[in-house]
Amino acid sequence: MSHALLIVLALHASATTASPAPGEAGGRERARAVAAIGSARSAIGQAPAGSARTEAEARLADAESLLARARYAEAAAQADGAWKLLAEARGERSHFAVAVEPDGRTRVAVREGVPVRVEAQGRTRAVRAGESLTVARGESPGTPQPETGPAEPPILISPEPGLKLALEPAPGGLGPVRFAWKPVPDASGYVLELAGPRKQTFRTTQPVMTVPGLPAGKYRWTVRAVQGDGTLGPPATRAVQLVPGRIKLEVKETPWQ
Amino acid sequence: MALCLPLLVCAPACRRDAQAPPAPAPKQSVRATLARMKGAVSVKRATGDEWQAAVDGTALYDDDKLRTERGGSAELHFPSGTVVVVSEDTLLGIAETRAAPGRPQADVTVLRGAVDATLDRPANQSLTVGTPAATVRAGREIVFQ
Repeated sequence: MSHALLIVLALHASATTASPAPGEAGGRERARAVAAIGSARSAIGQAPAGSARTEAEARLADAESLLARARYAEAAAQADGAWKLLAEARGERSHFAVAVEPDGRTRVAVREGVPVRVEAQGRTRAVRAGESLTVARGESPGTPQPETGPAEPPILISPEPGLKLALEPAPGGLGPVRFAWKPVPDASGYVLELAGPRKQTFRTTQPVMTVPGLPAGKYRWTVRAVQGDGTLGPPATRAVQLVPGRIKLEVKETPWQ
Repeated sequence: MALCLPLLVCAPACRRDAQAPPAPAPKQSVRATLARMKGAVSVKRATGDEWQAAVDGTALYDDDKLRTERGGSAELHFPSGTVVVVSEDTLLGIAETRAAPGRPQADVTVLRGAVDATLDRPANQSLTVGTPAATVRAGREIVFQ
């Protein structure tokens, strides 16, 4: 049984099972604990074997035990601790896209990182990296599907990998810097992200972007295609180093004639 | 002279509309800041009725609305570090956030169009995206102090 389904069942149970009259606040606490346990279980399902996963599993077991004893706040705290442990161990950022279609349907696509939770009509689904899910108005979330679209990341052309690029002084630092990649079929545009001495994002409709000037230093540049629904495709990343390129010629006197 | 008076009265307001971001609602926390704008992007304040052209650096507050036209795009930078790229032809609102003290949370409601969100530190950040059909939650679900 998938973890996403377990979350749905758990939440469904929380909504339909008669609880021992916890009151509205108690009901909220219980729902929060169930949601936190569902998130932790989903994260554990994706985590590689290791000490972080082992510890997270132990915390999840504690959380489930506490939930069974109606100690909701403690159960939520344990489950949250398990989730946080794995999220920090992964050290990944979370990247996802949400698109609202003209007919009101919502499409969620997760590119990377920990699962994203999609709730509708009192039910929750976990959507993992590489999956997408569509929800129609007034309906529960469907089953996440493997992501479609331009599955391949853009093929980067220049600057070449690890290149040390010697450039002249230009407004904003050194430049110009020309980033180029191969066109991605069906892409409506591209997003270029620079990470380094200057962090900047550019959007362009062409598979090339020329930046007039950037401060010297080491950069990582990432390109993603913009798909037809406005969401972003998988990334391609390279490193480049910008250094001052004005070559000094130092001529020293020599004893030889 | 009578003709000049309305012009003098109108002039400061017209200049503000053309050059400065829409006036913020007073005494509210900034929920997000606009950056990397491209094309036509406009903002409607929670307290106002009119859409006004936005500029880079425009601060957004609870219940403000943001609209991008065809060919337009923008980034929403939240104080938590979360970045939301707003695609063209999108309408969204900054949702009221009831976060616990010290809890970096961001909420937006997308009514039309598409957004692309990035949380650099999902273990310590959270983002909720509401739509007409669903609620999408990313990052940490519960942050305990």
